[in-house]
Amino acid sequence: MEKPDQRLFDEDVSSAEFRSGEAKGLWGLPSPDLLPDALQWPKRILWIAAAPRPKSPERFYITLDAEGYRSVSPTGTFWDPASKSPLDHARRPKGKPESRFAKVFRTDWNGGTAFYHPYDRAAAKGHDAWPREQPHLIWTSNHTIVDYLEEFHSLLISGDYLGV
Amino acid sequence: MVKTELEFFLHGQGLKPKVISAAADDTMREVLVRAGIINEGQNEILVFVGECQEALADPDELEDGADQHLPVDANLTLEVLGIGHHRHVHCHACRHVASGINFGGKTKLHKFSPATTVGVVTQWARRKFRLDPAAAAEYVLQLCGTTEQPRSDKHLGELLERGTCSLCFDLVKEITPQG
Repeated sequence: MEKPDQRLFDEDVSSAEFRSGEAKGLWGLPSPDLLPDALQWPKRILWIAAAPRPKSPERFYITLDAEGYRSVSPTGTFWDPASKSPLDHARRPKGKPESRFAKVFRTDWNGGTAFYHPYDRAAAKGHDAWPREQPHLIWTSNHTIVDYLEEFHSLLISGDYLGV
Repeated sequence: MVKTELEFFLHGQGLKPKVISAAADDTMREVLVRAGIINEGQNEILVFVGECQEALADPDELEDGADQHLPVDANLTLEVLGIGHHRHVHCHACRHVASGINFGGKTKLHKFSPATTVGVVTQWARRKFRLDPAAAAEYVLQLCGTTEQPRSDKHLGELLERGTCSLCFDLVKEITPQG
């Protein structure tokens, strides 16, 4: 039987908002052949489209741990569907030095296992000042995976994204 | 004969977008009645087909412009309305969303279609305020008097309080996470 958090997640990836973004090519679910053989809840893998950059992919895959969804936000990092493991740091998207992009996708914090952003459960846990500094990014149970994807997609299509 | 089914996204005031499936030869009115958006015989709702991006083509010098995006005749079929191509339908009581965007002590005005996304308004505002393209990406829209920064895929019509047809935004710089 599906757990409540899994049921909510599955409902949200069937929602009009998720499917509208998928239809526009902004994000989506990978084809089954790109998934690990025994992918169990709370692990999920999705992709996010990126702006075209030389020698860089059209999309990045992310692996999420969505335990407790939506009461708490997912935590995750970039994923390599070929090796079926977290993406090598060298092949992760890079941003202009000192930009918000570079901070959010930094690999020198927590071993690059989570996004340095208030929507990432692991990052939010250790940063008590973020809710005061970035109140618009406080995750609540009204937020969905679409908020999460849209936030990171907006970075991956921004001018601060340089490529891999 | 096999009926062609079309799937589209239905938006409206105070409405979470819905996925709607209907036959291509259904009229929009029939579909909206089934979806509970309008009642039989009701005419006052305006129906917009497609997401409006007209403002992005505005000349830079144009002040207080207005989108031409016209509501459609709901008695036409989905096929005639091109729903298979447009994919988005927005139902609203307002013909336009009169919007003011504040930045650097100035305000730019535009009457957007309710079916305009926040992402389009953000692009429009960055250009109207002549932000340096290299830095523009970090500027986003925030609803005046709040800390709410609506998602870029939201339609303006979805953000309106019932009985109002206007919105106020501040163009603000995103904060870089520190610490």
